[in-house]
Amino acid sequence: MQQPGADTWYMPDALQVDALLSTLATAFTLETAPQYAATVVYADSFDWRLYQQGYLLHCHGQAWTLYHGDSGEVTVQQGGPELSGSRFARDFPPGTLRETLEPLLGIRCLLPLAVVSLSGRQIRLLNRDEKTVARIVVESQQPAGKGLVFRLIRLFGIRGYDQEQALVRRLLEENGVREAASPLIGFAEGCRAMGRQPLDYSSKFTLELDAGSTARQAMGRIYQTLLENINRNIPGVVEDWDSEFLHDLRVAIRRTRSGLSLVKKVLPDAMVDRFSRDFGLLGKLTGPTRDLDVYLLNRDDYQNRLPPALQAGLNGFFSELDHRRQIERKKMTRALRAKKSKAILSAWSRALRGPDRQPAPLAGIPVGELAGRIILKRFKRVLRDGQNLDAATPDTEVHRLRIQCKKLRYAMEFFSSLYPRQEVQTLLRQLKKLQDILGDFNDLSVQQEMLRLTLKDVRAGSRRNLEQAAALGGLMQSLFQEQQALRGHFSEAFEQFGDPATTGLFHELFRKQQGAS
Amino acid sequence: MSIIAVYNIKGGVGKTAASVNLAYLSSRQKGKTLLLDMDPQGSASFYFRIRPPKHFGTKKLLKGGRHIEEHIKGTDYPGLDMLPADFSYRNIDIALDECKKSHKRLSKVLQPLHEEYDRIILDCPPNLTLLSENIFYAADCILAPVIPTTLSLLALEQLFGFLDEIGQGRDKVLIFFSMVEKRKKMHAEMMQSMREKQGVLQAVIPYSADIERMGVYRQPVAVALPGSMAAAAYESLWHEVQHRLPG
Repeated sequence: MQQPGADTWYMPDALQVDALLSTLATAFTLETAPQYAATVVYADSFDWRLYQQGYLLHCHGQAWTLYHGDSGEVTVQQGGPELSGSRFARDFPPGTLRETLEPLLGIRCLLPLAVVSLSGRQIRLLNRDEKTVARIVVESQQPAGKGLVFRLIRLFGIRGYDQEQALVRRLLEENGVREAASPLIGFAEGCRAMGRQPLDYSSKFTLELDAGSTARQAMGRIYQTLLENINRNIPGVVEDWDSEFLHDLRVAIRRTRSGLSLVKKVLPDAMVDRFSRDFGLLGKLTGPTRDLDVYLLNRDDYQNRLPPALQAGLNGFFSELDHRRQIERKKMTRALRAKKSKAILSAWSRALRGPDRQPAPLAGIPVGELAGRIILKRFKRVLRDGQNLDAATPDTEVHRLRIQCKKLRYAMEFFSSLYPRQEVQTLLRQLKKLQDILGDFNDLSVQQEMLRLTLKDVRAGSRRNLEQAAALGGLMQSLFQEQQALRGHFSEAFEQFGDPATTGLFHELFRKQQGAS
Repeated sequence: MSIIAVYNIKGGVGKTAASVNLAYLSSRQKGKTLLLDMDPQGSASFYFRIRPPKHFGTKKLLKGGRHIEEHIKGTDYPGLDMLPADFSYRNIDIALDECKKSHKRLSKVLQPLHEEYDRIILDCPPNLTLLSENIFYAADCILAPVIPTTLSLLALEQLFGFLDEIGQGRDKVLIFFSMVEKRKKMHAEMMQSMREKQGVLQAVIPYSADIERMGVYRQPVAVALPGSMAAAAYESLWHEVQHRLPG
C-alpha cells in the first residue's frame, strides 16, 4: 500500500480561508502553523534533467529545496550558492544535496527557470487524541511577470486514517472545493512567462514526420527543427553557461551539413551549395573552442591516468589550455554575434520556408521513398568500408569509417518516425555500439596527436617544463595503451553490426517502405 | 535495510522511550522507518497517540502481508510509520508455537516490509520467550538499555546465556546505559567496570524528568524539548547505533 499522496484543488474565488477552516473545525481540532511567504526561483538544467527524474528544485536566497514534483515530498533542504547566472553541482557545499544533484546534472549547469511568489500556511487536522490525521496546505502561487494568482488547497492524507480523509474531502466539496488543479501550476506558468515549458528541449533529435508528405516538405521540417535547435543554443554558448550548449549547437550544425550532403536533388542545387558552405563556416568557427572544452572536461581523467608524482606536471598544461580557450571563445563569440552569422541563419530560415523558384527533381517524391533509399545506401557504405576493419587498420581509415557511421546514424534519426519504433531502436542500438568504440578510438588518437604537438613546443631548460613534459609523456603512454586495447575489439564490434540478423533487418525495414510507396 | 530490536529481560529500563526517540531520529535522517510496537501494553503507540486498530491482533500479525500493511499508521512525523500493538499480543507465544518454523515466523512476516522501509525498530516486551527468540532471529541488532545496577547486569548475563542456547551470536547485542543517575556512586562504578567491554556504547541516557514526562506531552523528546539534555543524549545514542548497523 502506498502512502496516500496529495490532492490539489483550486480555491473558489468566493471562498475565504477562514470560512473553510471554521467548517473543518467542526470535525477536527485545527493546528495552524505560522504563515509562510517567499519568492522562490525554480532551477533546472537547460534540458530538464531534474524534471525528467520527477524532481523540482528551488532556491530562496541561499536556501535550496529539492523535492518530488508529484507528491510534494521534500527530498533535501540545504544551503547552497546564490543562483546568479549558472551554477554547477560542484558549486554546492559537500552534503546530501550535492550528492543527489551531481549524478543528475552531470556536466550541465542549473539555470533559473521561473520565479514564483509562494505564500500560505499548513494546517494539521487532529482527532480527539490530538493525533494528526490529515494535513491541509492553503497556498497562493504567483508567477512573476503575470498578474495571475493561483489559490490552491492541498490535502495530504496520513496512512491508516482513511475515514478521516474521506470526511475532509466531503467538507471541502461542500464548500465548493471541486476543481482539481496541478500543484505545480505556479511553476508551469512561471516557466511560460520566461518563454519555457517543461521538457521543451532535449539534445536528442525527435521529429514526427507525416508519412504522406513530400521529400521537400519533410526535409524542410527536419532542417527547421535543427535550425531551431541551433538558435536555442546560441545564447548559452555566448553566455558560456556550460559546455553542452556549444556541443549541442555543433551537433545541430553537423546534422544540417550531413543532411545537405546526404540528401541530393530535393533542395535546389544552388541552395545546397550555398548553405553547405555557410554551415561549414559555422562549424569551423565553433570547432577550436569545443576541442579545448573536451580536454578541459577530461581534466580529472587525465590526472587519474598519471602516478601522483607526475600529476603536478599537468597543472601548467591545463592553465595553458584554459588561457587558450578564453582567447578562442572570445573569437567565436564575436563571430557568432556578427552580422554574417545572423544573416546565414535568417537566410536559411527564409529559404526553407519559401517556395523554391525551381523545384529540384526529387522534391515531389514521397518522403518514404527518399528515406529508405538514403538509409540503405548509407548502410551499404558502412558495410563495405567496415569489412576490412581489423586490429591493423590505420587510424585514418578508422576515422573514415567513423564518419560513415555518423552519416548513417543521422539519416536514421531524421526519418525514424516513419518506421516501427522498436525495430529502428534495435538497429540504432547496434549502430551505437559500433560508433562508441570507433568514437573512443578516434578521441584517443586525436588526443595523442594534440599532446605530441604540445610536447614539441615545450622548451627544455626549466624544471617546470621538464615536469610538464614528463606528465605529457606519461599521458600519451596511457592513451596509447588504451587505444591499442580498443583495436582488439574492432572485428568483434563490426561482426555484430554486420551479422545476418542486423543486415536482414536493415534491408527488410528500409526496402519494404521504399517498395510500398 | 536494517532491523533494530530494543530489548531487555527487565521491564522499566527505558526501552519504549528509547524505541520512540530512536525511531523518530531515524526517520528524520532520510530513512523511512517503521516502529513495531510488540509490547501488549502499547506504550509506544500511546506516545504517538495511535489507538490500537479494531480488527487487528496476534493472528493477523503472524499472517503478515496485507494483514499487516492495512494496519500500519502514519505518525505525526513524515517518514515515520508505526504498527500499533494489540492487547492480544500477551498470548502471542501460544500462537507462535502453533506456527511452522515457529522461531523464524516474525522474520518471515517482516520480509515484505523491507522494500518499503529503510529501518524497522521493534519495541519488545520484557521477557525471554518464543517471541524473544523470534525477535533475536529477525533483528540485525539487539539494542539493550541497561540501568547500571547489579540486577541489570545479571539480566544481561541471562540474555547472553539465552543467545548462546538458541545459537545466536552475542555480537548482535549493543548495550547502552539508561536511566543513569549522576549522583549515585554505584552507577558510576558499574559503568566504569563495563565501559571497555565489547558492544557497550559510549552514549548514556540520563534519568530525566524530561523523559518521564513523555507520557504527558506524547511526542519524541527531540520534538517537545529540542534543546534538552535528554534530546541530545538520544541523538548521540542514535549516531552511535547507526554507525554500528550492518551494511
